Amino acid sequence: MREDTPSLFPNSGRASSGTAFTLPQSEDGGAARLVTIFGSLDPHGARRVRYVFDAGKPAYSEIVLPAEGPLRSIAREVPAAAWHERELHDQYGIEIVGHPDLRPLVFHDNWPDGVYPMVDRVDDVPWSKRDYRFLQVQGEGIAEVAVGPVHAGIIEPGHFRFSVVGDTILHLELRHFYTHKGTEKLFEGKSAGDGAMLAESVSGDNCFAHAVCYSQAVEDACGIKVPPRALALRLIGLELERLVCHISDIGGLCTDVGFSVAAAYATRIKESLLQASVQCCGTRYWRGVAVPGGLRFDFDSARVAELAQAVARAFRDFSKIARLSLETPSIQNRFEAAGVLSREAARDLAVVGPVARASGIDLDVRRDHPYGRYSEHPIEVPVTHYGDVMARARIRISEAAVSARLIQEAAKSLPDGGVFTPIASQGDVQGFSAVESPRGELCYWVEARGGRVTRCHIKSPSFQNWPAMPLAVAGNIIADFPLINKSFNLSYSGCDR
Amino acid sequence: MIGDVIERSLRQRSPVIPVEALVGNCDGSRMPEIVADRLTEEVARKLVEVCPTSALGMYELEDRRCLRLSYGHCIGCGKCADAGQGAVVVARNFTRCGVAKEQTVRLWDIDGRAEMTPLAPSPEEARGQIHSLLQRALNVRQLDAGSCNGCEAEITALTNPYYDLERFGIHFVASPKHADMLLVTGPVTRNMAEAVKATYEAVPAPKLVVAVGACGCSGGIFAGSHAIVGAVDAVIPVDAYIPGCPPTPAMLITGILEVLRRRIAK
Ligand code: SF4
Ligand code: SF4
Repeated sequence: MREDTPSLFPNSGRASSGTAFTLPQSEDGGAARLVTIFGSLDPHGARRVRYVFDAGKPAYSEIVLPAEGPLRSIAREVPAAAWHERELHDQYGIEIVGHPDLRPLVFHDNWPDGVYPMVDRVDDVPWSKRDYRFLQVQGEGIAEVAVGPVHAGIIEPGHFRFSVVGDTILHLELRHFYTHKGTEKLFEGKSAGDGAMLAESVSGDNCFAHAVCYSQAVEDACGIKVPPRALALRLIGLELERLVCHISDIGGLCTDVGFSVAAAYATRIKESLLQASVQCCGTRYWRGVAVPGGLRFDFDSARVAELAQAVARAFRDFSKIARLSLETPSIQNRFEAAGVLSREAARDLAVVGPVARASGIDLDVRRDHPYGRYSEHPIEVPVTHYGDVMARARIRISEAAVSARLIQEAAKSLPDGGVFTPIASQGDVQGFSAVESPRGELCYWVEARGGRVTRCHIKSPSFQNWPAMPLAVAGNIIADFPLINKSFNLSYSGCDR
Repeated sequence: MIGDVIERSLRQRSPVIPVEALVGNCDGSRMPEIVADRLTEEVARKLVEVCPTSALGMYELEDRRCLRLSYGHCIGCGKCADAGQGAVVVARNFTRCGVAKEQTVRLWDIDGRAEMTPLAPSPEEARGQIHSLLQRALNVRQLDAGSCNGCEAEITALTNPYYDLERFGIHFVASPKHADMLLVTGPVTRNMAEAVKATYEAVPAPKLVVAVGACGCSGGIFAGSHAIVGAVDAVIPVDAYIPGCPPTPAMLITGILEVLRRRIAK
C-alpha cells in the first residue's frame, strides 16, 4: 500500500474544527472510492485513523491522521463514511466533528457511555440503560412496523424499523450489531497463525475468503511469498465458496417467491458441492485450510480433479435450474423492478460486490487489484445497470459461470511443490489485503509485533452494503422486503463482527 | 417448463441419506479423537499448549495426571492432531451430540494410558434406538444468539433433500410460541441477551433447549470477549449440547434425535 502525505488543515475555514484532509481523486477526475476507515494506536498509545481509498490504480491509497484531537467528518461529502465514523466514535472515543448522525452504532442500550473497547480496559463492563432514538416519520396514515432482532426463520438477528403508508415502505431504518462479538479486539495477542481461526469465524458462510484475506495481510506484513501450489488451491477454494454462495442465493430467492422446485434443486446442488469438499479436504466449508504462509496441509491432486468434476456437474445442473427460473413469468413478475438501487446511491455509499455490479458499478478486486493467482486468469466481470432483484440474480448467475470455469482451469494446471512457507517472527510489521469475497470486497489490515497480532481491522462487504438496503426498499411494498433483502444477501455477523 | 423439472425429478434417484447412515456420522466436522495408548505426559502438555480454546486441559485427579477434552469447547481446528505425534486423530464417528454437559467431556489417565470417562454409545447402539422415535412430531425454533452464521448454514442444510428433516416429523417453525425445542447457536452477545431471554420465555412449557456449536456450548473461539455474555447456559437453562464448529448436518440430526430419546426415556 502506498502512503499519501495528507494535507492537513486543522481548524481551517471549511469545518469549524477538527483535523481534515483533501479527499483523493480517482484517475478519471471523480472522487476516489472509499474502501474503509479505521483506528489504531501508535507505539505510544496515541490514537490515529487510517482512510483507505481506491483511486483506480492497482495499489490502494492510504491516508493516516493523528486522532487524539477531533477529526472533521467526511460523511457529508462521502456518505459511505458515515458508519465507519460512527464505529470510530464507539470503539475509540474519537471525536468526530460535523457528523450528521453520531448515535451509537455498535454498542446498544446496555453499554455505558464513555467506555471505548479499543482504548479502555473492558474486563468487567457494567450493564447500563441508555436511550436510543429511532427516526420518527410523521404524517397522516403513517404507521411503524418493527421487525426483529429475532426473525421468523433460520436467519441472523437484526432490527428493521419500517415507516409505511398502507403497504408501501416510506423509510426503513436499520439497527444492527446484535451479533457484535468484539472480534477485532479478540485478535489482539493471538499468534499470527491462530488469527486465521478467528477470521474464519467472522462470517461462517464466507469463512475461506476471510481466512485467505487475513493470511494475505499477514503475508504482506511479513513479506512472505506463498508457494504457487498453495495459491492455486486457495483460488479453487475461493471460487468454490463463491459458487456455493451464489447457488444458495438463487435458491433463496426462489424460496422467497414460493418457487419451491427450483429452491429444492439449488439446496441439493449446494449440498453436493459441500460433500465433494469433504471428500477433497475433510471440511465442508474449507475451515482450517488457509493459514498465513499458505495452507495447513497439501491436497491430493486426484481428489482435486474429482472436486473439479463435481463442480462441472453441479454447474451444469445449476445453469439449467437458473435459466428455467428466470424464464418463469411469475419469477420475472416478482424480480423485475423490485428493490431498485440506483447507480448514484450505490456510488455514494461505495457499495461493493454483486450488488454494486447490478447497479452499474464496474468493480472486482480480482481484476482491479489482483492477488494470489488471479493475475494469471482473465476474469470477466458482469455488470448491468437495472439495479433490481432480477439484476442481482443475473449477476450472480453469470459470476457462478466464471467461478466454475476458474476452478476447472486451476485444477487442470495445479502446480507441484510445497504449500507452506514458514513465517519468521518479526519486529513491528503492518500489512493490508483485499479479496473479492462472494459478497464483494473484503479487506484486512493487520499489525503485528514479534509474531503476535496487535491490531486487526476487518472491512466486510456487508458493513459497506447494509446502509444501501434502505434506499433499495423505499417505495416497495413491505411484502417484497424479504425478497429484496435476500437479493442483497448480506451477512449480519460479517457486518457486526 | 415446469414440466421439464418434474420429469427430471421423477427420473432422478432421491438423494436422501438413510437415518442409519446419519446417526453417529461426523465426516467433515474435524472433531478430534484421542488414541489413548499413544498418550505421554510430554504429548499431553504439548496438546494443551497448542489448543486455541480451552478444550484440552491437564488435571490432577486422585493423584493421577489426567488429560481432559471438552468437546463443547473444541472448534475442530486440528492443531492437536498436528502436534500430537499420533495421539490425536480425526474422529471417524461421534455420538456425543444432544447429550448433557458432562457427557461432552472426556478424561484420560495419562500414565495408565486409558480413558476414565464412560464410553459414548457406539453409532450402532445409537442407531438401534432411533426407530422408536420416528413416530412423533417436534417443532423446532432456531435462535441465533450471535453466531458467525456457520451454524445457521448447517441447520439450513437439514431441510435439503439429503437430510430432509421433515421425514422425521421435525419441523422448523417461525414463532417460538409454536416451538417444543429451541436450537440456540452462537455465543450470547451482550446485544442479544435480552432477546434470547424473551424468546425463551415465549416458548410454552414443557420446552427443550439445545445449545449448538462450540459457541453455543462454551462461547467457543469468542469466549472471554467483552461483547459477549457467554455460552447459551449463561443466559437460559440448557437441556442438551451439540458440539462442533459448525456441527455437520449429520451431527445435528444425531443430536436432535438423542434429545428426543432422552426425553422419552425419562
Ligand atoms: S481440535 Fe479442538 S481440542 Fe484440538 S486443538 Fe483444536 S480446539 Fe483444541
Ligand atoms: S460454533 Fe463455529 S460455526 Fe458455529 S457460530 Fe460459533 S464460530 Fe460459527
